[in-house]
Amino acid sequence: MKIVNEMKGACMLVSVEGRMDALTAPEFEKACADFLDQGKTNVVVDFALLEYISSAGLRSILASAKKLKSKGGDLRFCGLTGMVEEVFRISGFQAMFTIVPSFDDIAGS
Amino acid sequence: MRRGISFRLTVLVLACSSLIFCIILGYNYIISRGIIVRMAEEKGDYLASNTGQRLAEVFSSVSTVVDDMAQSLENGALTEERVRRMGGQVLRNHPEIFGTAIGFEAYRFDPYRKYFAPYHYRMNGGVVSTILGGDGYQYFYMDWYQLPRELGESIWTEPYFDEGGGGALITTYSAPFYREENGQRRLVGVVTADISLGWLQDLVSGIDVCDTGYGFLLSRYGAYISHPDSDLIMNETIFSRAEELGLPDLRELGRRMRKGDKGFVELAGFQGLESVFVYYLPLPMQHWSFGLVFPKAELFADVSRLSSVMSGMGIAGIGVLAGLILLLSRTITRPLRLLTTAAREIASGNLDLQLPEVSSRDEVGELAGSFQTMRTSLKSYIADLTETTAAKERIESELSIAREIQMGILPKLFPAFPERSEFDIFASIEPAREVGGDLYDFFFVDDNHFCFLVGDVSGKGVPAALFMAVTKTLLKVVAETGLEPGEVLAKVNDDLAEENDSCMFVTLFLAVLDVRNGEVRYANAGHNPPLYVQAAGAVEWVPSACEPMAGAMEGMTYSTGTMHFSPGDRLFIYTDGVTEAMNRDSDLYTEERLLEDIAAHPQASAAEIIREVDAGIKTFTAGAEQSDDITMLAMTYLGTTSAK
Amino acid sequence: MAQKSVRLVLQWYPQTQFAGFYVAREKGFYIRQGIDLNILSGGADISPSNVLKQGKADFGTMFLSTALEAHYSGVDLVNVGQIVRESALMLVARKDSGIRTIQDLSGKRVGMWGPEFQLQPLALFKQEGIIVDVVRQSPSFELFMRGGLDAVSAMWYNEYHTLVSYGLNPDEMVTFRFSDMGQNLPEDGIYCLASTYREDPELARSLVKATVQGWEYAFAHPDEALDIVLDVMKKNNVRANRAHQRWMLNRMRDIIRPGDRENVSTDLSGETYEAVVRNMLDSGFIRSAPEYERFFQGGAR
Repeated sequence: MKIVNEMKGACMLVSVEGRMDALTAPEFEKACADFLDQGKTNVVVDFALLEYISSAGLRSILASAKKLKSKGGDLRFCGLTGMVEEVFRISGFQAMFTIVPSFDDIAGS
Repeated sequence: MRRGISFRLTVLVLACSSLIFCIILGYNYIISRGIIVRMAEEKGDYLASNTGQRLAEVFSSVSTVVDDMAQSLENGALTEERVRRMGGQVLRNHPEIFGTAIGFEAYRFDPYRKYFAPYHYRMNGGVVSTILGGDGYQYFYMDWYQLPRELGESIWTEPYFDEGGGGALITTYSAPFYREENGQRRLVGVVTADISLGWLQDLVSGIDVCDTGYGFLLSRYGAYISHPDSDLIMNETIFSRAEELGLPDLRELGRRMRKGDKGFVELAGFQGLESVFVYYLPLPMQHWSFGLVFPKAELFADVSRLSSVMSGMGIAGIGVLAGLILLLSRTITRPLRLLTTAAREIASGNLDLQLPEVSSRDEVGELAGSFQTMRTSLKSYIADLTETTAAKERIESELSIAREIQMGILPKLFPAFPERSEFDIFASIEPAREVGGDLYDFFFVDDNHFCFLVGDVSGKGVPAALFMAVTKTLLKVVAETGLEPGEVLAKVNDDLAEENDSCMFVTLFLAVLDVRNGEVRYANAGHNPPLYVQAAGAVEWVPSACEPMAGAMEGMTYSTGTMHFSPGDRLFIYTDGVTEAMNRDSDLYTEERLLEDIAAHPQASAAEIIREVDAGIKTFTAGAEQSDDITMLAMTYLGTTSAK
Repeated sequence: MAQKSVRLVLQWYPQTQFAGFYVAREKGFYIRQGIDLNILSGGADISPSNVLKQGKADFGTMFLSTALEAHYSGVDLVNVGQIVRESALMLVARKDSGIRTIQDLSGKRVGMWGPEFQLQPLALFKQEGIIVDVVRQSPSFELFMRGGLDAVSAMWYNEYHTLVSYGLNPDEMVTFRFSDMGQNLPEDGIYCLASTYREDPELARSLVKATVQGWEYAFAHPDEALDIVLDVMKKNNVRANRAHQRWMLNRMRDIIRPGDRENVSTDLSGETYEAVVRNMLDSGFIRSAPEYERFFQGGAR
């Protein structure tokens, strides 16, 4: 799983590529923890290149979101496609998180 | 271990040093012999030329005298007086001459005398004369006369024994003399001088060559003129000797000597005699040859002795060397052997064995030190391993107990409600590990309302199992209060999310069946949509409102859906362990396959359909490792007790 | 038995050529026959027939041809036993002289001994139609070895081996044996004056018998025979070596007992006698010869 992050204005744009499962999810959690340490609590995750997500992946998203929120930040998502979008829908995550089609939509708000 | 280091080292060093020593010794021996041989040659040369010189002096003085006599006889008158006087004079003036004769051709001196040969010789200190010749002494056919006559030149005869005077060995120089007669040069006679060879024999036999060596002299034809064995003198030739002794090499030597060769040759041992070296040299004046015999053993005695001593020293030295090497290698191999024995002991499990003390500060000492370290490390490693293994075993045993507990809290008795005929229910659960995160439950809320649910905790193993237990308990407690399914989930969600540091969540599908009319009210918290199978055979997914899984966030609301079941309709609930079951090619089972499977068995009972699907999953995965818990629950509504 | 004092003169110096006589004397075979034998040595200047004629010996050995010649010149000899059955006379040339056949000897210097040794060569040369330069040769072979003679006479049992012991290898010599060239005249025999025989024929027979025993003993015990002869030679100051005498003894055996014969025979056949006589008449050596029966008194009676 590849994680590429880029400061875009006030937001940290994080692109995740590959599969997020029990093996790779901790990397995502750690990345978010790093952002937290750096004070970048406004994180937007781009899942356009994410092929697969398991419940372990969902857990780490949830855990990271909780930590960021407790420090006044937020975890938002964009670029959901395919199976990942399906999982988000079924699991009800879309009800818990802000999900937009692409990053530009966020910039607007 | 028999052919150990000690042995190999010793043998190797021994072999090398022996080889080197042998080479040195051999070289020394060969060179020394060469030197000795050269020295022998030089000696031979010296002796031979010495002898030859003496010979030449004597012989040339004699031949000069005779040639002078011949010359004088060719001129001047040939009177008896003159002839007689000449003989006496020569003897008086030349002490080395033994006798002198002047032999005339038949009737040449005196027409009435066929034979006339006045002969003067020494006897008893004085000079005596006689006339030789007669029928008993036909000197014309004797070598001293015939040879110069026929060959037309002065010659030295072969040595011979003088029968007349004392048996001394004599050789004669004969010179022909001629006169002109009627225009032709005609032989008048032959004048001779005899010399005794006793002095020569003494000279040669006096030659000192080692202890048993000697010199010998051969005549023109190889006859022995001088030899330590006086019986051989003039009786045998070197060739007859060779024949008698059966030595072709000796004959060959004789031929070379006769040919006038000079050389140094080795003759192999005769029977009883040892090997000898012979140095031979021609004495050209008379075509004689001189030989010096060096007994090989004597000649090389010094060298042999030296070599023997050197060999002895060498062998002793190598022996000492061998001993030292053996000793040294023992200091290496002894500790090694001890360590080997200790290693075997340790290998058999005795880690507390005290290793042998090796105090040397060399490689072997280091080896022993490493051994010690290894032993200590091994010991602590094994201790750790033992502890870890024990801990692991403990955990495993605890896990299997946990599994029992977990399975224990799930209803497993089927048929679950034999006295109720309104529905048929069956459920199965297969955790991926000893304990799992899937759950199911079913119970009567009240007499007419039957609640059944399936859940899937995020994760696997002990954490999921604990969360699963909490969730199941909460669900039952809340559901038994008779709330609507949506409300139940909302309440449970709040409770779970409240103290959820580990961020675990659980997908849930909860349904309540009104057994009187087949109404099914349900709620779905992020769970896979179940399959609704109508009695007639149509299969469809139960729509989901996509509400979030429970435990994630407080304050979530959940909607309650309603379905109306006819008798024979069935609900098939499962967890994603079913649809995400993977085969070895990492293909997923998928919802489509599940749907097909379900649709293929419209008439199956709850238990049957679950078994079918289970079999189908097993076939599909074909032995690949189970990655997630597989849980299935099937509920068939049978209706109230009105006959079908 | 009373011992008769008998003198026997040999035709040459002591050597194994006469082993039979010396051995018989040493072993007492003559004594057993009642003969006290005195052996007189021969030599280069001694002619046994002359000695017999002068009455200085009772018996003598000589070649058959020599005896016939002597007889022709007036010595009335009879043969009481023919010892040597074949001829051992030969001519030897050096291979490097280029001489290969008898013809090559034409005009060459050929060494020969006294008259009795000249019969065969001269007969042969006459037969071959060649003339050679005859040179009287001395007992040593110096002249030949020094190149003064192209060929020499030699006895197969004696001088031939002398040349070998001078260092000449057999393959360096060219040999012509008269026995191979139609001149195979029997050689040594025992003779006495006819009068001597008439006086005491038993004596002659006993002498011959003891001599035959001596020869047979010598052939059976060669080493002992050599010892006896070498001793005699040494006493007579004759140059001797064992190897040479051994050769001689072996060759004497070949000509005294040719082929596989067991016994020594002293017979002389009529044909052989006549052949020799004819040869000598043809060569002009003699003009007449006695009758066989008169001349030969040996053999079995």
